[in-house]
Parts: sequence; C-alpha cells; structure tokens
Amino acid sequence: MNASVTPSTVVPDADLYLPRMARILEILPMSAREKFLRLELPAPLGHRPGQFVMLSCLGIGEAPISISCGPRTDNILEVVIRDAGSLTHHIHGLKPGQYLGVRGPFGSGFDLEAWSGQHLLCVVGGLGLAPMRSLIQPVLANLESFSGFTLISGCRTPAEELYREEVRGWEQLAQGNSKVRVIRLVDRTDNQPWDGRVGLVTAPLHTLEMDPANTVVAMCGPPVMYKFVILELKARGLGDAQIHVDLERRMKCGVGKCGHCQINHVYCCQEGPVFRFDRIAHLAEALQ
Amino acid sequence: MKPKVAFFDFASCEGCQLAVLNCEDILLDLLALVDIVEFREAITGTAPYYDVAFIEGSINREQDAERLRDIRARSAVLVAMGACACIGNVQARSNFIAPAENFKRVYGSEERNQVQSDPEFWPLWAHTRVRAVREVVKVDYELRGCPLVPEEFVHLVKSLVAGTIPRFAAHAVCVECKMHENTCVFDRGDTCMGQITRGGCQAICITNGYRCDGCRGLVPNANMAAHLGLLQSKGLDNREIANRYRLFCSAEPLGRVGRSGHE
Amino acid sequence: MTAFLVSLDAVSAWIRHLACGQTLYFPQQSGQSGLRFLPVDNDSEIRFDGYQPSLAPPGKKLAPAEEPLFRYRVGTDGIPVIQPVLDASPRILAGVRPCDLRGIHLLDQVNQQGHPDPHYLTRRQQTVLIGCDCLTPCDEHCFCDAVGSLRWRENADLFLTRIDGQFLLEVQTEAGQRLVANQNFPACPDLAGLKAHIEAQRAKPFGRQWHADAGRIPGIVASQWSSPVWDKHVERCFSCGTCNLVCPTCYCFDVRDDFQIEDPSAGQRVRHWDGCMLPQFAQVAGGHDFRPAPAARQRHRVKRKFEYLNERCATTSFCTGCGRCGRQCTAGIDIFDIVNDLIDHAEVTP
Repeated sequence: MNASVTPSTVVPDADLYLPRMARILEILPMSAREKFLRLELPAPLGHRPGQFVMLSCLGIGEAPISISCGPRTDNILEVVIRDAGSLTHHIHGLKPGQYLGVRGPFGSGFDLEAWSGQHLLCVVGGLGLAPMRSLIQPVLANLESFSGFTLISGCRTPAEELYREEVRGWEQLAQGNSKVRVIRLVDRTDNQPWDGRVGLVTAPLHTLEMDPANTVVAMCGPPVMYKFVILELKARGLGDAQIHVDLERRMKCGVGKCGHCQINHVYCCQEGPVFRFDRIAHLAEALQ
Repeated sequence: MKPKVAFFDFASCEGCQLAVLNCEDILLDLLALVDIVEFREAITGTAPYYDVAFIEGSINREQDAERLRDIRARSAVLVAMGACACIGNVQARSNFIAPAENFKRVYGSEERNQVQSDPEFWPLWAHTRVRAVREVVKVDYELRGCPLVPEEFVHLVKSLVAGTIPRFAAHAVCVECKMHENTCVFDRGDTCMGQITRGGCQAICITNGYRCDGCRGLVPNANMAAHLGLLQSKGLDNREIANRYRLFCSAEPLGRVGRSGHE
Repeated sequence: MTAFLVSLDAVSAWIRHLACGQTLYFPQQSGQSGLRFLPVDNDSEIRFDGYQPSLAPPGKKLAPAEEPLFRYRVGTDGIPVIQPVLDASPRILAGVRPCDLRGIHLLDQVNQQGHPDPHYLTRRQQTVLIGCDCLTPCDEHCFCDAVGSLRWRENADLFLTRIDGQFLLEVQTEAGQRLVANQNFPACPDLAGLKAHIEAQRAKPFGRQWHADAGRIPGIVASQWSSPVWDKHVERCFSCGTCNLVCPTCYCFDVRDDFQIEDPSAGQRVRHWDGCMLPQFAQVAGGHDFRPAPAARQRHRVKRKFEYLNERCATTSFCTGCGRCGRQCTAGIDIFDIVNDLIDHAEVTP
C-alpha cells in the first residue's frame, strides 16, 4: 500500500455500501433448515466460483451468503439460505416477486484456470455443498480441462441433504464417464431411506484411487472437518499448496472495513473466504 | 390480523406500563400495528389467546406463579418487561433475609408472631422467594431496565410485527458511555456497576450525572471477581459492596459467608 | 511554506473567526471533567495549556458513533429505492495533537485501501486539520515518542507550536494557506533558529519509553502467541470495549437495519462502532464464536496495533501512544505495559 497517498486524491467508492435490488424468482424448501433461492439481478453478477455476496432484506439486515451457482452470463443468482438468524429466518418467509438487496461479488474464489490438467477432488460437509456447487457446475461443463473430478459429499442425515436431484444427476454422469466419481455419505441414516454410504467424509479418502502429484483439493464444510480431511490428505502425500479451504467468518461489510472477519492479520472477506491452505496453515486462528 | 397483545402486572410499580404509555410521539403508530386486549393501566378485559403477553413485575406468591403459568399457556410469545420481571429488581433483596425477619421489619414483632401462629395468615408463607419471570415460565424476550427503555420496547414490537428476531445489547454499559463521550464515573470520584451491567439504556443514568446501579442485570460472563476487587480498592466496605450488588441484580460476589451487613 | 509568529490572543481570535464560517471543533471542557472536541461558539474557551487527551479522539468526528449508510423507501411497484447518505459538510479540527494527527493519518490509510470508504473519505476530504505541538508529555500515560508519533505533523494543514508565550504558526498546505489569508500575521523571522529552540525546549525523554528498540517490537509481538502475558493482563478485564472505543485507530463497525414505525415501507441502514474486545465480536449466525476467550480478544487487539495493521499499512506502529486506552480503563490495563511485558518475556525466553 502506498502510505503517501493523501485522502484528497482518492476517489471514494460511492456505491460501496449500496445494495442493488434483486427480485426473487423462486424460493423452494431444500431440506429441514435450508431454502433455495433464485434471484434476478439488474445486471449479470460476474462472479468467480467460491465468491460470496452480501445479501440483505431492507429494514431487517444484511449477511454474507455464498454464491451457489457457477459463473453465468445472465442476471441470475442462486443461493441456499439456512434459517440461522434474524435475517435468514425472515428470508425463509419471503415469496417470489419480493426483493432482496445484493452487494458483491466479494472475496477471492477458486482459481479454476490454475488447476487445468489436474484431477479436482471436492470434499464437502453439510451446507458446504452450496458454495461448492458454484465450482462443480463449471468444472462439469468443462471436463476436458481436467484429468478427472471426484466429489465426496457428506451430511449428517438424509433429511439434511442439499441439491438431491442435481447430485444424483452428477452421479448418473459419473456412471457413463470414468473421469467423474461421486461419493455421497451421511453420518447416520436416522432410519430414513438412504441410497449412499454411511460414514464420515474422511473414510473414502483412505482408499480413494488418486495421483497425489496431480490432484488439487477444494473443501467446504465445518472447520472440524478440515482438520481431519487435511490429516488424511497429507497421509496420502498431498501438500498444503494443493489444498483449498473455504472459511466462514462474521462479516458486516464484505469489503475489508468492518474488522469482523480477521483471521490473525488476514481479512477473510478480501484474501478469502477461499484460501490455498499453505497460505494460512501457519495462522493459529485459521481452523478454530 | 393484527397481533393480540396483552399486558399483565405482578409485583411492580407499574412504571414500565407507564413508560410504554409515555411513548406519546409514536403511541398511535404502535397502536395501529397491534390489538391491545388487556392493559390494566388503560383498559380491562380478557381474551382466551394472546399473540404477545407482556409481563410486568416479579413473581412473589404461589398464586402469582399459577396465574403466570396460565398466561404462558395462552400466549404465543411471552415478554418479561422491566427489571422486576427480568431479574427480580429491588424486591428480590428480601430473598437475602429470612421471611420472619422481613415480617418483623415491616410489621413489627407482634404481627410477625401473629402471622406465624395464625392459620389464617399461612398463605402468606407461601411467599418465600421473589422470583424473576424466567424462574417460573419460559421467557421469549426480556425488556430490561428500571423502567424499561422505550426504544427497546418499540424495537421489540416492530420486530414481532415484521416477524424478525429482535436484537438486544449484550455488551456493557461502558460501550454506550463511550458513544456519549461521558466522563467515567470512576473519574468523577464515584463507583459504578457499568462494566458488569448490560447496556441498551444508552447509559442514561451516567449521561445525566448519576452512576450505573445495575438495573439491567449482569452481562453474560461478568468478571465479578475483578469488579469486586475494584470496588474494594476504591475503599468500599463489604456492607456497601453487598448492598450495591443486591440492589437490583441479586448478585453475590462476596459469597454467602459474612454477608450480614445489609440494610 | 509560510510561517508566522502570532500571539495567544491573536490565535484565539483567529480560531473564533474561523468558527464563524464553518463548524470548528476544539478541545474544550463542558461541565464534566475531561476534554471533548466540541464545536466552538461564543461561549467557548480557547485554551492550549493543561492539555490532556480528549476522551474521544478527534478522528471520531470523521466516523461518528452511529451514521446512516443509506435510507430506503419501497415504491408503489414494490421495488425499494435506495437513497445514499453522505456527509460532505466542511469542518475544521483544531488543536489536534501529533498523536491524534497520526491517528487520523492511519485512519486515512485503512479507509482508502482496497475499497475506498465513501462515508469516511467524504468527511475527510472536507476536513481541515490544525495541529498543535506538545513540548511536554500530557501525563503519565503518554508514550507518543516511543511509537514515533511525537514529531508527526505531515497531514496537518496548519501547525501550531506554543513557544515563549507566542505561537509559531506553520502553513503546510494550500487549504491551510486559505485559512490564514487576510490575517496579516507577522512572518516568523528566523524559522530554522526558532525550530532548533523548540527542539531544545522539548522534554527529554518524552513520556514513557519501551524496554527495547521500537524497531524490534513488531517482531517481538509477532513471535508471541501462547505467552503467559496475554493471560496476566486479562485477569482484571471486563471486556467492556472501552479500550477499543477510545482508540484513535480503532475503526471496526457493526451494521443494523431499521424501518420507520409510522411508515414501515421506509427505513435506513446504520453503521455503529464495534470493538474486538467485546464478546460476540467474532460470533457467526448459528452461534460459533471464533474468539470466545477474553485473552484471545486482547491478544488480537494488541497484535492489530503492533503487528497486523502496521504490516498492511507499511507503518511502524498502529498505536499512536496517546495513552487513552490505559487512561480510561477502570481495571488499569495498559497496552504499554502489555507490550513491555511481551518484550521482557521475549528477553527471558528468546
């Protein structure tokens, strides 16, 4: 940063905190606690996989929400909202035709170009599938750029599974394409019907066929999952620079100003929320 | 349908209901949002069901507890309103004194002996303890303070009408003192409960030249040991300290040993 | 640029004159003890002696305790319309001491980095700074010299130094020049000689000093994560946030929305001060708290001032040495003592 810049020469970003209004096209229940929303923006969002938006309901509040759709040229934004607070609870009660505020896209995102020619392994826990879908969609649409794609997606119970139909579509794709593998798990079935495996996402990693030198990993889930998955990956010979994690923090601005999302000296909303693990492995607050 | 709202009072001065009525500039706007079915300070009536029940006052007698449970059973949302309902307020100080001793102080020895021996007065002995509302029934929201803060009341009503979860400060009074650029009470030569007391009051007492006596109750994880040490270092004796902590929020950082110095 | 030598009476009259044209904040008593940067009016007392750091630093005039980010109204078509709110009213901050000038400089850095903050910068670009030198430490909490703030004056438009009953008034910018136009202040005859004289008059050592060279401190702070020092200084901490809220370089904020009760289709989004010492500062929806322990929060605060933010802004220290946090902490916790303890601890366990 240039410390000699004086405020008089800096042009303020007048729109920094002003949301654009997005119309709700669809709002559908997805699982016990999550709803899926398709929104129409005034202009294309122009995001990268793994970025987030600040989503708001005027008069109620604003919160960071992962973008759940792959990059697109139209004005559509898709998100998954878990009923976890005042704002998200309110959003669950909204109807098509109503409006939400959107700022962004913000954050680093996944750098797909840098992974060209490699095998991409996505490890997902619970709600982590929502942001990971923004990566999976462009990867599956552009499979020839990768030597392969594996998804290991776990959640606690069958009732908590997200994107049920779409994930089964990916599974069908895998049946006809040896480059694609999809493994679905639940921690426990809770006596509900379940057509996937039972266990933690770390279990398949023991025996998963992979070329450690030619694999990149993208992970999205709870911090405790990261700790154990990273241990497994290291045991399989992967290095920190091959692993990418998507971290959650409290964010009130999305633009590196409010101070809430700091992980040691790193601003999660600016340098993250997606990090190459070797760049944060030394930060004590990273995987808390 | 406008939400049906009711106000009930138990052991209190009813000052919180008056504080609500004193929201004159917006009272009509508030009334436009809700349908008030019971309000002892303003109207009377009964209804079988309430969307929101505001409870003012502490629960002192078993018959009060029964009445409260009945209200809870008929209410979708129950709000403890004011320090009496939230933390027992000043009347909870009597919890530190044996009931017989309280009777003696208030009515004299002779009357004390009479209420102890005459079966006609035995129901009075069911009054053994002043309780906050949450000690008797589940409380959805708390409007703290003696009296409640009108802005918080309005915020709660707006949130309930909008279907959102209201937010109340969990930080110390000090935050609002700094926002108002108040001179710290300790720098004025007095002592203060602000560091361990929940904010949300805009530090109104300190802003107006007094100190914080803790009417909004303790912050979560209040550092009582540090505060006790601070009061002791300012020369307060244990009797003064016990009175300070018990005045509103029934706190006992000194422990139960050697606490006989209360007034 | 130009320098004048002006009497106290003339400086006071000039400041009153400037206050007639626009809002001018100057540190004043207002009934309660302690100084506050308040607008100067006819009843104001313009005093330079007996200065103690104001309760809130003057930089807070650029980022008030609460401010609307925008207002909105839902139109008849159901589409909300956003109305931006920016405060572009001109103002003068006068009597700003070197520590607070540097505090404003550091706030400038964070607010113009990355995404330039419109609310801060709009106010800042309409603000003229009149600095005022310190020749003696304000009190026992001062350590401005130790962190390199004492001789800071770069961002002052005008800079005053009280010497031998008069004021050296240095004009540092064109905005400053406009404020002294038509004043007919007498020029300073021997600026270099007077400045040497001023340096000779300055107290030495000036305020509290570190137990190690200032240049080593970021490294020392960075090297200590699991230090007993963090636990020691948090024992008495109330997590009340005072140290954050009175700090000239704390700028964290929270945001809340509100709608009007008389017209629920209209409302505003407001940002207000927050502080990393407050519980729940790092808590996300769903309840997980990334910094639940008071000691972890205090470590974060100290590291922000001496390690994290100086790296981001290429400066030596994000602490200005004004001493407000220690002075106003009822538990007597002082960031100066914490850092010196970290230094001592590093010496014992390298």
